[in-house]
Amino acid sequence: MPPDRALPEAVRAERRAYALFFGALLLVVALCTWGVAFNPFELFGKGDAFWTFLSEDFWPPRIPQREGRLEAILAGIGVTFAMAVASATVAAVLAFLVALFASERVSPFPRLAPLVRGAATFVRNIPALVWAFILFSSLGIGTGVGFVALTLSSLAFLVRAFAETMEDLSQDGLESLLAIGATFPQRVAHGILPSCLGGFVSWYLYSLEVNIRASAVVGMVGGGGIGLVLFSYIKAFNYHVAFFIILLIAALVIAVDWMTGRLRKELAL
Amino acid sequence: MQPILSFRNVSKRYANGAHALEDITLDIRPGEFVSVIGPSGSGKSTLLRLVNRLIPATSGHVILDGRDMARLRGADLRAQRRKVGMVFQNYNLVHRLSVFQNALHGRLGHLGGLRGLLGLYAEADKRRAFDLLVSLGLGAFCYARAGELSGGQKQRVGIARAIMQDPKILLCDEPIASLDPASAKTIMETLRDETRRRNLACVVNLHQLDVARAYSTRIVGLRQGRLVFDGAPDALDAAALARIYGPGHVPAAAPEEAAHAS
Repeated sequence: MPPDRALPEAVRAERRAYALFFGALLLVVALCTWGVAFNPFELFGKGDAFWTFLSEDFWPPRIPQREGRLEAILAGIGVTFAMAVASATVAAVLAFLVALFASERVSPFPRLAPLVRGAATFVRNIPALVWAFILFSSLGIGTGVGFVALTLSSLAFLVRAFAETMEDLSQDGLESLLAIGATFPQRVAHGILPSCLGGFVSWYLYSLEVNIRASAVVGMVGGGGIGLVLFSYIKAFNYHVAFFIILLIAALVIAVDWMTGRLRKELAL
Repeated sequence: MQPILSFRNVSKRYANGAHALEDITLDIRPGEFVSVIGPSGSGKSTLLRLVNRLIPATSGHVILDGRDMARLRGADLRAQRRKVGMVFQNYNLVHRLSVFQNALHGRLGHLGGLRGLLGLYAEADKRRAFDLLVSLGLGAFCYARAGELSGGQKQRVGIARAIMQDPKILLCDEPIASLDPASAKTIMETLRDETRRRNLACVVNLHQLDVARAYSTRIVGLRQGRLVFDGAPDALDAAALARIYGPGHVPAAAPEEAAHAS
């Protein structure tokens, strides 16, 4: 092994950069841990209580035996699924219309496009859960409000995704429709939509996937569906049934992920 | 005969201050096949796009079929654009749609409201589009996706789309720049034949001198945005070429292109 100074300057510079980066990272993590007053080794030291809780209180999952309880849980799963599908679909349709005005290359008012995108970015950066809290505070709880919260957050996300899909579209096909004398709605229907449909559907399926997970969480804070059912069992210290519900939610998420994953793969071909 | 297209002292300056075109005055009549030649950046593309106002002129008047393009808005502008069939270097088809649908796009400007939105073309238009595609040798490809065709085939679809507009003038922006010599020959012959048969005016931007000489009834030369030559192909002598391309920069003739100068 040749001595260090035989190494090219670029290699030594890279080593210094890595050393600096990891040193700084260690310092930041130490500061953050001190800030949250949490010792990462505590989980192993006092871990007993945690593991006992999981193995004694949660395990094994139990299907509730009382009349109508299981039906209520399955209905909750159904509501959650319905909330996710309905909100993603309504959001996709609205997002398509809004996204037409969010892309400079497509919008008939290109100067307003950054404004539309900015508004979408603002709404998107507020998580669905926070929207749910804001809406529950003003409109009361229920699946309807949960639906609105999910629709808002997916709408903002999809506007951005759809606008970027349209930006990637080559300008050439649109120029020819403009030259033909086609109106804006005609250019959208005959140029943009056929060219971008695959991309739109792929983003819609992704947003459906995200909404399944989000709707369970939004449900817990008052949006109804399986989240609310789960929360009520946890509050009643009925952890075995709660665990059964958690497994059901996981199964639903995995099933939907698998399905949308397959569909998106088909679309990419 | 009345000109179908007139440029009156037209200038175009881009926002970055570059002069694309300077004081162009030009009349084009039905039946003329005009090649526009000039080095890259001489303003050929801008000249074509001023006609249907894909690019607005800075000053002067572009008069198409008796109407000044600068004053038109909305529906009037679209009605004027319908009269102009445009053929592009990159074909500019909607790749995911069928050849048939791309050809029918030429009728979009004639369809209003909901019919236009849903693409409910008249039966007669569909028949005409089909016959046109067959006559251009694309009968077997009507239901293929436009994106799957070869360059020469795509350009024929582009021409079919332009002709479906029932245009009064054809504008072709480097229609053969991306094609092999055999396809280029087919495209140029198609453009010439359709122009004659329908008594259109045809303006073609070209880089290939031999092609320009072989097919044009008239040649226009641009250099740095100025019109430096306007005359019959025979009048395009060495002095004229030096004015257009600059001394010593006249493009050499490719052997394949010389072969179809008949």
